[in-house]
Amino acid sequence: MEIELRHIHKTFGPVHANNDITLNVPSGIIQGLLGENGAGKSTLMKILSGYFHPDSGEIRINGSPIVMHSPADALRFGIGMLHQDPMDFPPMRVLDNFMVGYPQGLHPPRKEARAALKKISDQFGFSLDPDAYVDTLTIGERQQLEIARLLWLGAQVLIFDEPTTGISAQQKDSLFAALRRLAKEGKTVIFVTHKLEEVEILCDRVAVLRAGKLVGTATPPYDLDGLVRMMFGKAVSKGKRTPIEFGKPVLQLKNLAVEDSRLRIEGVNLEVREGEVIGLAGMEGSGQRQLLRAAAGLVRPVEGEIWVDGHNLTGKTYHDFLRRGVAYVPASRLEEGLVPTLSLMEHVILANEQRGLVIDRQAALEDTRKRIQTFNIRGRPLLPVESLSGGNQQRALLALLRPGLRLLLMEHPTRGLDIESAIWVWSTLKQRCREERTAIFFMSSDLEEILHYSDRILVFFSGQVSEPIPAESATTEQLGQLIGGRGFKTGKEASS
Amino acid sequence: MKRFWWLLVAALVLAGMVLSACGKSSTPTPEAKQPFVFGMLLVGPYNDHGWSQAHYEAGKYVEQKLGAQMLYVDKVNPADRPGTTAEQLAEDLVSKGAKLIIFNSDDMKDAALAFAKKHPDVYVIHASGDVSWKEGKDYHDLSNLSSVMGKMIYGKMMAGCAAAMTTDTGQIGYLGPLINDETRRLASSAYLGAKYCWEHYRGKDPKDLKFKVTWIGFWFNIPGVTSDPTQVADDFFNSGYDVVISGIDTTEALVEAKKFHDQGKNVYAVPYDFKDACSEAPSVCLGVPYFNWGPSYLKLIQAAQDGKWQSTFMWVGPDWKDINNPDTSAIGFEIGDALNDKASDAVTTFIDELANGLNLWTGPLNLQDGTVYLRDGEKATDQQIWYLPQLLEGMEGQSVQQQ
Amino acid sequence: MNERNANLLFATIAILVALVFTSFVLVLAGASPVAAYWYILKGSLGSWTKVADVLVAWVPLLLVTTGLLITFAAGLWNIGIEGQIVLGGIFTTWVLRLLQHSAMAPGLILFLAIAAGALGGALWAVLAGVLKVYGGVNEIFGGLGLDFVAVALTLWLIFGPWKRPGIGSMSGTEPFPESLWLPTLGHTRLSLWALLLGIVSIALVYFLLSGTYFGLKLKAVGKNPRAAYLLGIPATRYLMSAFLLSGLFAGLAGAVQVTAVYHRLIPAISSGYGWLGLMVSMLINFQPAWAAPVTLFFAILNIGSIQLPIVLQLDSSLSGVLQGALVLSFLLMAGVRQKWVARLRAEEGEA
Repeated sequence: MEIELRHIHKTFGPVHANNDITLNVPSGIIQGLLGENGAGKSTLMKILSGYFHPDSGEIRINGSPIVMHSPADALRFGIGMLHQDPMDFPPMRVLDNFMVGYPQGLHPPRKEARAALKKISDQFGFSLDPDAYVDTLTIGERQQLEIARLLWLGAQVLIFDEPTTGISAQQKDSLFAALRRLAKEGKTVIFVTHKLEEVEILCDRVAVLRAGKLVGTATPPYDLDGLVRMMFGKAVSKGKRTPIEFGKPVLQLKNLAVEDSRLRIEGVNLEVREGEVIGLAGMEGSGQRQLLRAAAGLVRPVEGEIWVDGHNLTGKTYHDFLRRGVAYVPASRLEEGLVPTLSLMEHVILANEQRGLVIDRQAALEDTRKRIQTFNIRGRPLLPVESLSGGNQQRALLALLRPGLRLLLMEHPTRGLDIESAIWVWSTLKQRCREERTAIFFMSSDLEEILHYSDRILVFFSGQVSEPIPAESATTEQLGQLIGGRGFKTGKEASS
Repeated sequence: MKRFWWLLVAALVLAGMVLSACGKSSTPTPEAKQPFVFGMLLVGPYNDHGWSQAHYEAGKYVEQKLGAQMLYVDKVNPADRPGTTAEQLAEDLVSKGAKLIIFNSDDMKDAALAFAKKHPDVYVIHASGDVSWKEGKDYHDLSNLSSVMGKMIYGKMMAGCAAAMTTDTGQIGYLGPLINDETRRLASSAYLGAKYCWEHYRGKDPKDLKFKVTWIGFWFNIPGVTSDPTQVADDFFNSGYDVVISGIDTTEALVEAKKFHDQGKNVYAVPYDFKDACSEAPSVCLGVPYFNWGPSYLKLIQAAQDGKWQSTFMWVGPDWKDINNPDTSAIGFEIGDALNDKASDAVTTFIDELANGLNLWTGPLNLQDGTVYLRDGEKATDQQIWYLPQLLEGMEGQSVQQQ
Repeated sequence: MNERNANLLFATIAILVALVFTSFVLVLAGASPVAAYWYILKGSLGSWTKVADVLVAWVPLLLVTTGLLITFAAGLWNIGIEGQIVLGGIFTTWVLRLLQHSAMAPGLILFLAIAAGALGGALWAVLAGVLKVYGGVNEIFGGLGLDFVAVALTLWLIFGPWKRPGIGSMSGTEPFPESLWLPTLGHTRLSLWALLLGIVSIALVYFLLSGTYFGLKLKAVGKNPRAAYLLGIPATRYLMSAFLLSGLFAGLAGAVQVTAVYHRLIPAISSGYGWLGLMVSMLINFQPAWAAPVTLFFAILNIGSIQLPIVLQLDSSLSGVLQGALVLSFLLMAGVRQKWVARLRAEEGEA
């Protein structure tokens, strides 16, 4: 099915989110849509999938104009969209979820559905158990479920909005394989992303959006620098590693063991010094998160000791750690990091030291405005945080951190951010290391990020922890092998 | 918020104007002839098939007999009408023209008293209390206040007799509400009637008659607070008690009896309060003792209308000539379909004996703990009966609330 | 259309829906809706005495709703509020019984009794809180259980240790001497003290929830306990404080019932205000600013509907129908509104 977008305009108040966008997408290819956060990618795709109505312009399918009023309408025309956050119903079973939206009557044909799910799964190499509960699935599996559902409902055009956010490298590989298969079978695939390397390995062609406008298209082989210039209107670079002098130890882990229902990490010995950045690498679920949480007092270690600034905090609560200048930034922003329905300003008030009993709203408002500006957040002080986009929620989380922290523990500090934003985030973090002598302990599934910003790296493989590797001398290949479990030598073995 | 208040005020004013315009035209013009107006406060819904409906119908009866007009408010209790007191509602009725107010429940005792004190020019009837009983323990000297109660002791005796004539196992259960003087009095009356018929008409030894009272803790089931009357009735039927006499306001005993009966067990029940109670399960209903407030109200309201009111305490029994006469008898007993002919005859004979002066509250009678209540040949005074301190000897069950 | 205008529009639609539905029921019952509404209005606002009666009924409901706003802010369903009112009544009665024959000044006795009521309600609420926080018992079930225990306790007291001379009566304990009633205004039943207590309470809680750190932290704990914890808010302490404060206001409501309305302990001392308060809270979508007007409206309905059986021979539960219809249509409209707002926000958020 060939899709044509012609002169699409969409404004929200003063913002021109889509400004005269014209784009043709033939069937059988993977069309990339590249742009930084807020460039208008999501808006355009929501117009194409029936969530929004364009102010002007038209959408054609195979040459004839169509009008859609809802996502269900779009699906009738064969257009389906996978969202950044999978929109399924966690307490339900896979099969029930699969059948949501099926248009016929009160007695859905469960048998047929089961057969269809199996057929689609086989075709695309998905491993979906129809009777499993959805909340036991990984994000990657949820995506597979959503793809299967849309295909069953007759989608010919599939739109993927930042689908690689929050999934492991392995899941990413199988997702890409599925996308290629879809294109090969004649479906039209539109892939929205802000990551250049994904465009490079996956897309047959790419269109770049900036500030609501279509600024260019490209086909392989891609000129990556050219794409970056198109995205940002200028060239950007990660900047050079500037050596920082480390101070006295801030965090000391002594023969630490952490355990949960799935795995056990033991024998971790580590000293993190003022100004130092430690990156935790590994497949998702290899134990990085447990260690990070233990270092914040969120998980009680089963063995060993945790010292912060010379104080033994083993067995203390997170709030005791907090008082010692430790802060934790979780990856799931709306589940753990922010309080939905509260405004950005209210978050600022909560994050600040309490002064008296009564809130000074005027001061808080000014403070919030300042932070919005400093952290370049697109949002208003009084709007609830859940109305912010994912990237802006991440900026908000960073904006809430107090100055003068001793130790900052972070899960995926730049997940969901475009390159420019990620660079900016790290520049503020490094500034903390330099000027406030803060130590940073972070996990990420982005090897480049770990290599580039860490001073030392710990690699995790199913609960085993490597001894610290100096980042300067490490390479992607070396880390990749360790992550896969090859050439592994744990800190415990090394020390014994 | 300012805007909201402004709009609210505007809406109220507008509504007021519209309503007053419509209201005027729809207000009925007063009639030329002024009937005597009396008010009635009902503790439950006017159509509850029980206590309150019996009063409501008595009010209708007076309207019809006397050409008087009744105003009523039902569900007069703090749960149904939060923020109101019976006293306040009575004043409301007075402002509508009522010259006499009936408070129909023990719940409203304080309200009736306070109201009577505050409004000496309005007649007050308190149903079910002893507040205007000179010889009683809680007498209040108020000339505009009368209290009325039916002598249900007789109805309960008949219920006990019907049960004794029917039981095969010689075990009778009594499903009691909460424990107080009134409920002890009624349960004991049922026992006296049962014992008499068991001994004299069936010729058996009173020692072979088991009579057990189980109190649920309230007039009706409150889950979590009272014992479940359904459960209590089931326990009775499952442990050899084949007749259950109900002392509570609801009909669980009857319903459960029917359930067991339908499974082929020979069990029966006697409900309470309301004349038509048997109609819910006629196949297991031995009969029902009921109140008929009409004649008493008629007498008092007539007196008030004619200016001959005197404060009295009426504890009125049945009209022994015809206990089911709606115009004369305050207490009746409706024989149920399930009572066999022989037992039915016996109950009729029993009623005749009572009518001819048989007094079961005659000694020797001991209290449950064995102390003497009435010496041989001694007849109980009304006070002794009204304020019965314990159950009687021969009855099983608690006499006083356990603390 | 902006959000505030939209809220007003949705509220108006909800009221209209409820009115139409109730009118329909009235017509089915063979009555003129206009006449019925007119008598309700006249019976509640038709004279100063009536207005005073409305205010008497308003104060306890307002106090209860005030308490519920706090627990709802913390994301708690304080179903145990009924029991907390009852315990307020019991504690107040207890202190009055202890001190009624003492030489202490009546004003002081009343003050102590009302304070004891607040304490009783707070204790009962803290019990539900302990069950939840330390025992893992959901506050809905724990609260429900405590409600039953409270009612049973009342009955036991009325028919047992505190029974009146002679015969224990459903009418409650022996009424207190008039010197121990909260003084009333003129010939009305309205106590200005009670009224003041109600108004000050809602004003305090409004301020507490909208203007203080405590209120904001409470809301954070209620909306997302995990995030609140990471922000450094001790969730347990805030949950317990919410229970305590909520129970305190419920206890005050019980104290007002004893000292200003019934002047004794009666079996149904709570008057069902707990349930009514929960209904109101849902109706106003837990927004403190609406508590006062909406509880006032409910009080008007309660007092005004007395006229229905008297004048129109109508079943007075029709006012209950109107209240229920209001809550349902408001919930319905809240759903519609939420969808609308979500859409609006989604569009704004993209920008």
